[in-house]
Amino acid sequence: MAHIHLEDGSFTLFWVIVWWLCALVLIGSALFLLRIKKTKDVKKITMAAFVTAASFAIFQVQIPIFGGVHLNLTPLIGILAGPVFGTLIVFIVNIMSAAIGHGGWGLIGANVLVNFSEVIVAYLSYRGLKKVTSSLFFRAGIATFVGLICGNIVMIAIILISGIQGITQSTLQILTGLSLLAAVNMGVAVIEAFITGLIVAYIGKVRPDILEGTVS
Amino acid sequence: MPTTTFSEHIPDLDLITWYAENNKSVFAFMSPWTKFAILTLLVVLVTVLHSIILLISIYVAVICIYLIAGLPAKKLILWYTLPILFVFSLIGILVWGEPGFPLISLKIFGLTAILTDKGVLIAISLLIKALTMVTFSLFILMTTRYSYLATVIERIFPAPLDQIFLLSYRFLFLTISMTAAMLKAVCSRGGGVIYSIRMQGKIFAEVFALVFIRSFDRAERVHKAMIARGYKGHFSMNNEVPAPSQYGMISIVIFSIIVIAILIASQLKWGLNIL
Repeated sequence: MAHIHLEDGSFTLFWVIVWWLCALVLIGSALFLLRIKKTKDVKKITMAAFVTAASFAIFQVQIPIFGGVHLNLTPLIGILAGPVFGTLIVFIVNIMSAAIGHGGWGLIGANVLVNFSEVIVAYLSYRGLKKVTSSLFFRAGIATFVGLICGNIVMIAIILISGIQGITQSTLQILTGLSLLAAVNMGVAVIEAFITGLIVAYIGKVRPDILEGTVS
Repeated sequence: MPTTTFSEHIPDLDLITWYAENNKSVFAFMSPWTKFAILTLLVVLVTVLHSIILLISIYVAVICIYLIAGLPAKKLILWYTLPILFVFSLIGILVWGEPGFPLISLKIFGLTAILTDKGVLIAISLLIKALTMVTFSLFILMTTRYSYLATVIERIFPAPLDQIFLLSYRFLFLTISMTAAMLKAVCSRGGGVIYSIRMQGKIFAEVFALVFIRSFDRAERVHKAMIARGYKGHFSMNNEVPAPSQYGMISIVIFSIIVIAILIASQLKWGLNIL
């Protein structure tokens, strides 16, 4: 896991509502963008559905490294589907995850914001790095790592702003604790970046058209 | 009973769907709207409640409902692994240093970390909240038929979100079985053995990349087949979802009143020691 799925009961009702509203604004904006572009392209919808299913299926696989790691591949969603469809995909993946207990229902809003930051940053980094290097492995790997760093920063920011119910420590104490957690997450992020780099390089070799914006 | 499982601690979607389609308990005939209304109220309830006794009571009630529905208890315990990991990876760090009666004291890099009774109570409280929601979510999934779930999704979400959701839910089983087949092929050729992180990472990356590539291939084929059958971007569900029954409505109203009362009491700090 390169980020934490927050569970129900972690935040107060006020912050649950606030983060849900923020996520709904994001999702509403994505839907609005699709509608003004008149993107009722059936193929893109079908592709986005397959990306959703593939990323959720891959999340179910445990990689036997460091005792078992599960990958979310949210940055890869950003690279393959772009930020608009990516927002909708992470929302659906979070609902599916909440349904099987990986993240709370009330915390879907906060989790969507964390995932969205990973999607958008990975997408922009991947596109931006095109001028720096032509290696798909490095572009995707760096974009994933940067995306996951941002995801961790957003997660820490959300927790610091909302606070955890029952925890009475100062912001500095919470920040110290979360930094330790972020350090562990970054270790997993390196694995995810390495694997995403290999995935994108492999896709680029076998089906380069997929990387040329089939969905986005 | 069909199962496609990659690891024992992740809920098996094939098994969940089998229970959803074959469950004959009273809950299988309950309106999905009633279940989702109770789920929403339960989320609010576990968010505002702090009393360990009340939380344990709710958890026991949810477990009883799960068992009465004839759902697998052993599997549930295995499926608790990741939610427990999520709770402790976050709370396990933050509970140290909470004020209260010290239970454990550790010295790490010259710093003293103290675990108090209040810290333990916070961890237990959040764990019970998480497990209550996991159990109830799985109960809903395992007692609600696909056709009902799909209709609810279509009615709740705007297009194209509902279309992506419905299609991905259908594709999910296809993708999971495809992933399982590829992993089986890798393992049968000795790919499951750990040579090195680089080698292991490469093997899994190729499997995952193939999942995406084959998903895209299938998406293109499915897209063409759907277009040929008249699909124009709207995947409509023609199933009728039963409305909440009289008892269902009464349950929702009573539960809503309880949740609102607890919400008001917690806001006005009434009965703080109980809630």
